[in-house]
Amino acid sequence: MRGILTLLFLLAASSSISAQNNYDVSLIPKNLLPYASVVVRNSEETVEVKAPDNTIYHTKEAVTVLNKNGDELARIAIWHNKSMTIKFIKGVVYNSFGIPISKFSESDFDDVSATDGFSLFEDTRIKHFLPAVTDYPYTIEYECERHSKQSLNLGNWRPSQTKGMAVERSSLNFICKPDFNIRYKEINIPQKAIINTNAAGLKTYYWELNNMKAIKDEPYSPNPDIYLSSIKIAPEKFMYEGINGSFTNWNELGKWIYDKLLLNRDQLSGETIAHIRDLTIDIADPKEKARKIYEYMQQKTHYVSVQVGIGGYQPFTAADVDKLSYGDCKALVNYTQALLKLANIPSWYCVVEAGNNKISMLNDFASMDQGDHVILCIPFKNDTTWLECTNQKMPFGFLGDFTDDRTVLACTPEGGKLLHTPKYTAQNNLQARRASFIINDVGELSGNMETLFKGVQYDNREGVINESVTEQIKSLKKTYPINNLEIEKFNFSQDKSLQPVTTESIKLTARDYASVSEGKVYFMINPVNRTERAPREVRNRLNPVYINEGYTDEDEINYTLPKGYRLEKMPLNITITKPFGNYKATMILNGDQLVYKRQIQLVDGNYSKDTYQDLVDFYRNVLEADNYSVTLVKNN
Amino acid sequence: MKKLTLIILLVFCVSIAVNAQDFAYGKWTYEEMGMKKYNKDTSAHAVVLNEYGNAKITVVSSDNIRLVYEYHVRIKIFDENGFKQGTVEIPLYIGNEVGEEADDITAVTMYTDANGAVKTEELDPSKIFKVQENKNHTNVKFAMPGLRNGCVIEYKYKITSPYWDSFHDWQFQSDIPKIHSEYEAHIPGFWTYNAVLRGELKLDKSVSDLEQECFSTHGAKSDCSHLIFGMNNIPAFVEEDYMTAPKNFIAAVYFELSEFTNPYTGIHAKVAKEWTDVDYQLKKDDYFGGQIKKKDQLRDRITPVIAGKTDDMDKAKAVYAYMQKTIKWNDYYSFTSPDGIRKALDKHTGMAGDINLTLVSALNAAGINTEAVLLSTREHGIVNKLYPVITEFNYVIAKANIGDKSYLLDATDPLLSFGILPLRCLNDQGRVMSLDKPSYWIDITNPQTQSSTHTLTLALQENGKLKGTLINYFKGYAAYVERKAIKKFNTTDEYVENLDEKLTKVKITKSAINNIDSLDMPLTETYEVEIDAFDNLNHNKLSFNPFIFGRIITNPFKLADRTYPVDWGMPSETRFILNMKLPEGYIVENPPQNGGLVMPRNAGRFAIAYDGSGSSFTFSHVIQFNKSVYESAEYPFLKELYNKIILSEKTEMVFKKKI
Repeated sequence: MRGILTLLFLLAASSSISAQNNYDVSLIPKNLLPYASVVVRNSEETVEVKAPDNTIYHTKEAVTVLNKNGDELARIAIWHNKSMTIKFIKGVVYNSFGIPISKFSESDFDDVSATDGFSLFEDTRIKHFLPAVTDYPYTIEYECERHSKQSLNLGNWRPSQTKGMAVERSSLNFICKPDFNIRYKEINIPQKAIINTNAAGLKTYYWELNNMKAIKDEPYSPNPDIYLSSIKIAPEKFMYEGINGSFTNWNELGKWIYDKLLLNRDQLSGETIAHIRDLTIDIADPKEKARKIYEYMQQKTHYVSVQVGIGGYQPFTAADVDKLSYGDCKALVNYTQALLKLANIPSWYCVVEAGNNKISMLNDFASMDQGDHVILCIPFKNDTTWLECTNQKMPFGFLGDFTDDRTVLACTPEGGKLLHTPKYTAQNNLQARRASFIINDVGELSGNMETLFKGVQYDNREGVINESVTEQIKSLKKTYPINNLEIEKFNFSQDKSLQPVTTESIKLTARDYASVSEGKVYFMINPVNRTERAPREVRNRLNPVYINEGYTDEDEINYTLPKGYRLEKMPLNITITKPFGNYKATMILNGDQLVYKRQIQLVDGNYSKDTYQDLVDFYRNVLEADNYSVTLVKNN
Repeated sequence: MKKLTLIILLVFCVSIAVNAQDFAYGKWTYEEMGMKKYNKDTSAHAVVLNEYGNAKITVVSSDNIRLVYEYHVRIKIFDENGFKQGTVEIPLYIGNEVGEEADDITAVTMYTDANGAVKTEELDPSKIFKVQENKNHTNVKFAMPGLRNGCVIEYKYKITSPYWDSFHDWQFQSDIPKIHSEYEAHIPGFWTYNAVLRGELKLDKSVSDLEQECFSTHGAKSDCSHLIFGMNNIPAFVEEDYMTAPKNFIAAVYFELSEFTNPYTGIHAKVAKEWTDVDYQLKKDDYFGGQIKKKDQLRDRITPVIAGKTDDMDKAKAVYAYMQKTIKWNDYYSFTSPDGIRKALDKHTGMAGDINLTLVSALNAAGINTEAVLLSTREHGIVNKLYPVITEFNYVIAKANIGDKSYLLDATDPLLSFGILPLRCLNDQGRVMSLDKPSYWIDITNPQTQSSTHTLTLALQENGKLKGTLINYFKGYAAYVERKAIKKFNTTDEYVENLDEKLTKVKITKSAINNIDSLDMPLTETYEVEIDAFDNLNHNKLSFNPFIFGRIITNPFKLADRTYPVDWGMPSETRFILNMKLPEGYIVENPPQNGGLVMPRNAGRFAIAYDGSGSSFTFSHVIQFNKSVYESAEYPFLKELYNKIILSEKTEMVFKKKI
């Protein structure tokens, strides 16, 4: 729900190399068929920078759709806006023998706004079309040319990006004048660039990939950027919305952003200046001042995404935000920065790729398209503080899992700097629960439970914490898998200090929690934090194992049981220790007191692909232990 | 079913003139500014303080007749969760030549500053955005400036529309409560509309009078009927799980054009007064009856499809299967075929109306008496039965009459078997339109059911593993759902591989899936399985929970009270049968007792049965819901049925070695 800053450049391509046009389905190599619902028969993309304000994207692509699941993968979607205009689109549909059966052109395409669903405004549009063919397999071939007025973003070529798609042949041809210098980054590209000068004296860079099998879903895979093939290209000198610039590294790119997009957008009215002075005048500690200002900003503004201003790269001015009380991530960061500046606290505008998946800026390759969000960094001495400015509730200095533990670009007056946001360790991300329950002789469960949430788990209840009581009760009933759960009393509280903690206390009852029959009582030992499913097995796994965020959960439940019963089965007692995590669950019966303790910890990081089966087995054991059912039998 | 939706035709007699009046713009009160919460609903994040709408048909400066609609609202926002009220979207429909226009947008935020002074922040017109979402839909959007907790926002706008045949409806109820909501309509005598009130809330104000000579164009003059509807203290509408379209329950007034006299020519047109009128119009409509009648143009295509078939049922199935694979549905709902069925056939793609009117026509071409059935899909709401409102329908299916039975058919999905409808269609009643008879209502929901049977035959091995077969058997709608799940994979092998990877402790050693493409047959899956049940048999007692697959742990019904009916669309039945063979000398220590629970009037039931002798036993478990829709009064029984199912599925069997 927060700000998206980048414009995604779907690369277009070209056909300078002539290829066979035989789309007979029987010619597809058999080894490309498993897990594929479409096969890219041939894709040729050409990007030609004619001048810094004139780049031509030419795409020619033929995709065979093997079955109904492939239809949507084959939908042609062409992105455009004011500065990226479509010159033409045309195409042909072939049957399974490769015989043309129909043609289509730009007039068959629907033109829709490409707003992301939460932005108030964005000028991006998409033309899309999917020919209707009822006999499978069939092949769609199309060609398209687009002209772009900028050369800052030259694209991110990714020949195969979704599961179910195999690629027979795909190529990228980049053409520019001899004096137009580029840098490029090849990721998982077996064959390096072929660099030449063509007959017209232009420089050409050529890449080609062949016979890439369809990817299968593999849980716990790293970010696709790590294992998919891609090429990133960045210019040395460029033109963007009429602004010139040049960069060869992060420092220069950060400098350009600072000078051209951010500088002098921080003026504020006298009234606001006075207000901030009054607010902070009695505070000596700069960090406390910053907290005060951040909290002021939080209650004063809220997030609304409006992508205007230099292709969506330039924030609203601070004065605008002051007046409107809203802005997107850029605007709110710029505003907060301006407020902090009034209190003589310097801070940095930082571009980040946001989301639960931790994606870092590439250390060795600077380009404008690697971030989609902006946060603020305050470089206090030995105590760097990070602020998320689009959230009214977040504690000062807390980032959560939206932007934690990743490399970001700080845009400072001295130029760009790569910084790393704070990491929350498995120990930090703690959910700790203590409960005291009574199970009576008709099977009713009742008692009290208190849970603390720390680290990135701090915001586990964020979705409901400001909701109405009715909604909160509804949500709690869905959170805890206890049949007939009734919440008698509950309370949430939040400690918003630098190590924030959310506390949830609940008084509950649940009739028929235990089933009582013929002198026996059955109930699940773990009513509140059960693993519901284990990850699936994966045969012939290709990717290494990646655990994105570590965490620790601790549960301790004291049960008071009906008197006069004993355990029928072996009590639960299990300990598993693995490099990626550990689990321990025990139960001890003492008279009518049963103590259940459970601890699970998952440690984030990269593990070999062979670890995967271990992880599956780990979870299967956890699943079984979590679903352990206690059987009590009456003493005779 | 009658209680489902309350639809009342509003009848007016002229009464004393009462004026409705828009409330003053931007005039705040200390009471409103100081409000801390809404006493009638303290959970509200925002409340509409006042809302006023005014719609009239009038002649605008361009000398065109337009429907002019003005909207004005004032909302109190208590906290951040109410801020979404401050992002306003005005949807406009833009046709090929003319379209709706929004203007006169003004908006202001009023708030109390730190010193207790009331300040205002006006909307800057340059911050109003117009976004063309697609060919016919444009949104005008703006965000209120200066939002903060406790502020009051107010905005108004005007929409000028050339589409006077769809007079503006008015929704009294929305996701936040309202203190007062009032709507005023001015309808010149050239037009007659039916007004319908939906929902269970009552109008607090309902007035009509006559406005003299309020409309004139080129010498033609008329009086207007002037209608005012108002409600006070309207609660927020809260959605519940498993309910049908909110539209069925939300308090609102809807208008439908019934008669119209052209002011310029004096020609009178009855738009929709009686079903006979609708029947007549649809039959001669180019987009509807005109298409159905085109059976001759389909004869060439249909002849080879039914060649050699003599039985009507075989012919009908062949034609249905042919249509399912000939035209691909483009996901659009419609009950007409605006571009004609020929184009859909040529392009191999079309809307629901294209496909199913072609189906009606093709079946008739094959000699099967077939009618079209107009219906409203589930999310589109229930159709009123008081008088015909054609815009309440949004979909059409075919009704093939074979022998003394009839079959409801929808050819938009190639996986649907003959006579099975997709869930979206299972909504109350539809109107049968035949070319030679008056139209009539039929129940859409009656014949369809879904049932599945899972038979597990296992033998406990000396190594502690269970070995045997699992046979899944799906019928009716359940077979359709399962086929769809299988077809998400490129091959059945990939489907089974995925299933095997997902199952914990269960290994599939062999599999066979039958009738995946024979849609009229039940779908059967046979798996040879090996289950890691126990480490070994060196225990005195072995506990075993027979619900290896799909055990229900929590009740889907968690509310203490239910306001709206639970609507599943169709009855269902799920059977689970376990045939177990234990090694010689083992017995079941605690055989489950036969029993279960039956809902009142047999609306649903759950039953378990155990039958054992020696070291073998059979255990079965049946869950049956005999109705499609359960009234809120039946909710506690539904909830308790689930409770009993969960309790019984918790119990473990204990296998014991006889000593």
